Amino acid sequence: MHMQVEETTVEPVRLFRINTGSCNGCDVELAVTSAVTEFDVEQLGCRYTEDATEADVLLITGPLTVKARDEVLRLYAETPRDRITVAVGVCPVSGGVFRDSYAVDGPIERYLPVDVNVPGCPPRPQALLAGIGEALQIRQARRAGVEPVGRADGKGQEGDNFPARCRLSFDASVCVDCRMCRHVCAAGAIRFQEVEGGVRLTLWHNSCVFCGLCSHYCPTGALSVTGDWRLDHPAADAFAQVERGDIPYAPCSGCGEPIVPAAPQLLHTAFRRPTPEIDKLTALCPACRQVMSIGAPGR
Amino acid sequence: MTTKIIELGPHQLALEEPMYFRVQLEGDRVADLDVLPGQVHRGMEHLVMRRNLYQNITLLERLCSLCSNSHPSTFCAAVEEVAGIAIPPRAEYLRAVADEIKRIASHLFCCAVQANAIGEIPLFRRVMEVREIMQRAKEAIYGNRMDLAANVIGGVRYDLPPEAIAYLYQAMEDMKKPLDELYLQFANNPALMARMAWVGVLPSEAAVECAVVGPVARACGIDYDVRKKSPYGAYDRLDFEVAMQTAGDVRARNLVRLAEARQSVSLIEQCLAQLPAGPLCVDTLPEIPAGEAIAKSEAPRGELMYYLRTDGSDFPVRLKWRVPSYMNWDALKVMLKGEPVANIPLIVNSIDPCIACTDR
Repeated sequence: MHMQVEETTVEPVRLFRINTGSCNGCDVELAVTSAVTEFDVEQLGCRYTEDATEADVLLITGPLTVKARDEVLRLYAETPRDRITVAVGVCPVSGGVFRDSYAVDGPIERYLPVDVNVPGCPPRPQALLAGIGEALQIRQARRAGVEPVGRADGKGQEGDNFPARCRLSFDASVCVDCRMCRHVCAAGAIRFQEVEGGVRLTLWHNSCVFCGLCSHYCPTGALSVTGDWRLDHPAADAFAQVERGDIPYAPCSGCGEPIVPAAPQLLHTAFRRPTPEIDKLTALCPACRQVMSIGAPGR
Repeated sequence: MTTKIIELGPHQLALEEPMYFRVQLEGDRVADLDVLPGQVHRGMEHLVMRRNLYQNITLLERLCSLCSNSHPSTFCAAVEEVAGIAIPPRAEYLRAVADEIKRIASHLFCCAVQANAIGEIPLFRRVMEVREIMQRAKEAIYGNRMDLAANVIGGVRYDLPPEAIAYLYQAMEDMKKPLDELYLQFANNPALMARMAWVGVLPSEAAVECAVVGPVARACGIDYDVRKKSPYGAYDRLDFEVAMQTAGDVRARNLVRLAEARQSVSLIEQCLAQLPAGPLCVDTLPEIPAGEAIAKSEAPRGELMYYLRTDGSDFPVRLKWRVPSYMNWDALKVMLKGEPVANIPLIVNSIDPCIACTDR
C-alpha cells in the first residue's frame, strides 16, 4: 500500500481522539494504529496527542450520547480552528445500530462540521490509515489554499490476504422482494421503495455495520458481502455512499398484474430441481397460482 | 494533611473509553472515590425492545467490542432456552472457539493498556504485536477484527473448513511462546514487580463483599469460573484448570489473565481436535414461543448473565443483562484507598473496566 504522505516540515501531524460514547471497537483499533508497526500512523507522519489544543486531525468515534455531548463540545472548542475532523466508523455519521435511541444525540454533524467519513464497524486499520491519509490531503490542500481533490479511486482489495467483511453488493436480478434483509438489519441501513415499474433497494454504507446478517438470511444470494474496504470519502458525499438496485416488475402471465417473478435461485432452494410445471408458476401472481393449483380463489 | 477533590477523565487515565472519577485525596493519597458513569449510555435496554430478535444479535454484539462475542452468544443461548432448541454439537464447539479467541485478544489488550499506563512503551507494543496474531486470525476466519458475527439463533453462521483449521492450529502454535514469555515477564520482571506487586490490593473478604467476578475474583483466590461451575455449550467436554492467584494485587490479576490466555490456546486446540461433523444451525428461522429464560457465560471480564422474556412475537418483551464490570468497578474503592495518585490509571485499568458494557 502506498500511503506515504510527504510533509514539508519535520513536525508530525498530531491526531486527537474523542470518544463520544462508542462501543470501543473503533477506539481499540485506533490504539492498534499507535502500537503495531504495520499500521503505525507514524508511516503517515502522524502521532497521537492527549492534548486537544494540539489537534491537527480530530478523530471522532461513537454515536454521540446525550450524556457525553457537553464534554465532547467542550473538547472540540479547545481544538485549533484549522483542524480536520474525521468521523471514524458509521456511528458518528448515522448512529449505526444505536440510531433512534432517546440517549443518542447524533449525528455529530448537528453540532460540528465533519470533513472525512470512514465507514466500517469498526473500520480495519488499513481503512483507518486510508481515512487519516485523506484527512492529511485535505489539510495540505487547505493550507495551500486550493480545493481538495477527492481521493484517488481504487478498491481496497488487491494484495490483501484476507477477504474482510466489507461493502455489501446487491444483485437485483435475483432479488425476490421478500425484504428479509431489511427485517434483520439492526442498523436500518436497507430501504425498499416503490418506483416506476418496480421496487428499489437502497443500502446506505454510512449506516451498514457490515455484519452480513442480510446476506446470511437472503434466500437467493441477492445480497453478498465483498472484501472491498476502501469506503473513506469526503463527508459532503455521505449520502452518495449507497448500493442500489431496481427489481423490475413483470406482468403476471395469468391476469397481467405487475409482480416480482420468483428468481431461479429461489426455486432451486425450494425444489432443488424445478420441473417445467413449477417454472410456469414463477410468472404467476399469488391469486393466479392459487387458481392454477386448486382451481378457485380461496375467499 | 490537606483534603482535596479532583476529577479524572479518560485523557488523564489512559482509557479508551470515557469514564470519569471524582477522587478525594488526603495529601497525595486516595481517600475515597466516586465513579461518574453514563457517558456511554446509549439506551441499549430500550433499543433491544425496539429491534426484533434477529436485529438484536447484531446490536448486542456492539454493546461492547472487547467482549463482543459473549453478548450475542449468551443472548442466543437465552432465546434457544425459550424455544427449547438444542444447538448442534459442531455449533457448540464453534461458539467456544469464537469465545476463546476473543478472550485471548481481550486479555492481551488489558495487559497492553496497563503497560502503557506505567510508561513501559516497548512492552505495550510487544503485547499489542502478539495480540495482532489473534486480530489477524479473527479477520481471516470471521471477516472482522472486533465483531465476529459468529452467532445466529440455533447455532453459528461460520464454519471452519480444513484450511481454516490448519491456519488456526498454526496461529495457536505462534501464540504459545510469546504467551509463556509474557507470563514470565509479568511475573518476574523487577520493573513490573515494582509497579504492580502489592499495588491495588483487594483482600479476598472485600472481594466476596463486592461480589467481584472474572479475573478480578480469581486473582483473590476465589475459585469461580462459569465455564467450570455451570458448564454451557462444549465446555463440559473440554479440559482446563481454573487459573488462580491469591495476592489480589495488579500483578495477580494480570497473571490470571495471561494464564487464561494460554489456557484458551489449549481450549481452541482441543475444540479443533474434537470438532464434530454435522450441521451448523438447527433451523434458519426457528419459532420463538412466549417464555422466559436466563443464560450465563464466562465473558473475558467474568460472569455475564442474560434475562429474556418473550411473548411469541419477534420482539423481546424484556431483555436485561448483568455485566461483570458492574461489580468489579465497585471494588475500585477498596483497591484505590491509600494509593498514591500516580497509581490510579494503572489500578483502574487492572480491573479491565468495560464502560460500554456497564453504561449500556
